[in-house]
Amino acid sequence: MSALLEVRHISRAFRTTLAVDDVSFEVQPGELLGLIGPNGAGKSTLFNLIAGVIAPSSGQIIFDGKPIQGWKSHDIARVGVARTFQIPKPYRQLSVIENVMLSAFLREKSVAGARKLAETTLADVGLAGYGGSPASSLTVGLLKRLEVARALAMRPKLVLFDEIMAGLTPTEVGAMTKFVAGLPARGITVIWVEHVLYAIMKTATRMIVVNRGKKIAEGTPAELARHPEVVKAYLGEEMDLA
Amino acid sequence: MSTETIPSLNPARMAVFPTRGRISWFEIGLLLICLALVMSGIASNLQDVLLLSFLFGGLALAWNIAGGYAGLISFGHSAFFGVGAYTSTILAVRYGVTPWIGIWIGALIAAVFGAILALICARLRGPFFILSTLAFAEVVRIGALNWSSLTGGAEGLSIMPAPDLLGMVFASKTTYAALMLFYLVAVYAITKGLEASRFGYYLFAIRDNEDAAGAAGVDPLLGRTAALALSAALTGIGGSLFAQYFLYLDPTYVISPELSFQFALLPAVGGLGTAIGPVLGSFLITPLSELLRSYLGSSAAGLHLVIYSFGLIVVMLYFPAGLAGALEKLTRRGRSP
Repeated sequence: MSALLEVRHISRAFRTTLAVDDVSFEVQPGELLGLIGPNGAGKSTLFNLIAGVIAPSSGQIIFDGKPIQGWKSHDIARVGVARTFQIPKPYRQLSVIENVMLSAFLREKSVAGARKLAETTLADVGLAGYGGSPASSLTVGLLKRLEVARALAMRPKLVLFDEIMAGLTPTEVGAMTKFVAGLPARGITVIWVEHVLYAIMKTATRMIVVNRGKKIAEGTPAELARHPEVVKAYLGEEMDLA
Repeated sequence: MSTETIPSLNPARMAVFPTRGRISWFEIGLLLICLALVMSGIASNLQDVLLLSFLFGGLALAWNIAGGYAGLISFGHSAFFGVGAYTSTILAVRYGVTPWIGIWIGALIAAVFGAILALICARLRGPFFILSTLAFAEVVRIGALNWSSLTGGAEGLSIMPAPDLLGMVFASKTTYAALMLFYLVAVYAITKGLEASRFGYYLFAIRDNEDAAGAAGVDPLLGRTAALALSAALTGIGGSLFAQYFLYLDPTYVISPELSFQFALLPAVGGLGTAIGPVLGSFLITPLSELLRSYLGSSAAGLHLVIYSFGLIVVMLYFPAGLAGALEKLTRRGRSP
């Protein structure tokens, strides 16, 4: 089986700092890959490189057989990569359903078709009753769900979740964890950055740990919980591994 | 409760006040009043005010496609107005091409100018974009002033005032008023169609959050370029119509910052990013500025500007979302007693 995403020796420098330093990994179709690391480790930069928000200084990114490094973000979106934003970026003057319709247009060209796909997606993430509300009226928890709905309405092959649990109540975290865990079975491969470690350790099929721009470990959640480098990277930060 | 975006003409389900992408009773009523005003034999100077209100309503709507829907606040739209006016007039005066054809060529060239402006300003946002549009129009104005073999330079260009259908010059102001109303209705219909279309949604997305639009597969630069080209083309048509009515063009009036500000001001007063807003803005402001100018112009020079500005401040203070925003409040009151 060939990989859906291959990241080969990718680096990105901001002035003299290497935010991402020679990182390589593969994602197989149907995987739920967890990406963890302390604050400032380079997780979001890595996402922005894959999603085309910034271009890599060196290295290759192969998605679905195509080298996509340096592509514009809208072109990467069109080949099947969706992403959420760590800080939600809704279209504030539009309603919730219109926010999702804009993603649905990628697959449904008619307004009526996009509306239908958006309605289904909203129900999927538990926002069924909010379609007509202005996006600006949503709470943080609901905005995170809207981010997820917008990504999924694109019917992506690969979705990048950037801290979709931050700001959620424990009950919401439970529901969202269950929801994300079900995505690979629906043909959606997931790369997931998360600070709420117990959620991601429970769900991910495989994990990658980054620190100071470098990949320091890779393996199943159980393997990583015993990995000395990982424990060291998190020492004094968060000890709630597993 | 979800808002329907498919244009509906079913009278039983038609809303009273304007909603996005749908026709309402309010709009039909307003159109009937406009038609009645055109047909009624009102005094000649009032007919001037009427037809200018229609023309500037259409121009405000054209500006609003870029400024209101795509968030491209431009203080340079008089460049497109001038390009349209000069193209149809030069073609008619120098080459004998009827304005009925020249108008479309003018629209096309204005669209190219709009696209060029969008590409030049591809990386500029906010005040930097606004200042660049102002500078762009100045460049076009200075160009028109100096290329006198084509434009007549500072002396300007005149159209023969002999009434002629083929030359699009009419004896009766009623005909002009009908023509301007037709222009207004056409730009209004385009705007309403835009609101209900995928392209319209793309523009809202680019305006509200460019990063999110890109992540959803929308090309922000393409959207901005298309919006500015469409807005410029429609503004160019307005310029040609103005030339056919005024019968005289000179760069310092047709391509002026004052005119650019006027195009931006009317939608701002009426309500940015709505279809009815720019129309209401023009119906309020155009007569006000024309009447104040004609009644106060000779006795107290400049006083009309004071009153005019005072009126603007009042509107901005009490209706920050414009006249359309006030109308929307009425709608909500109507729904929940």
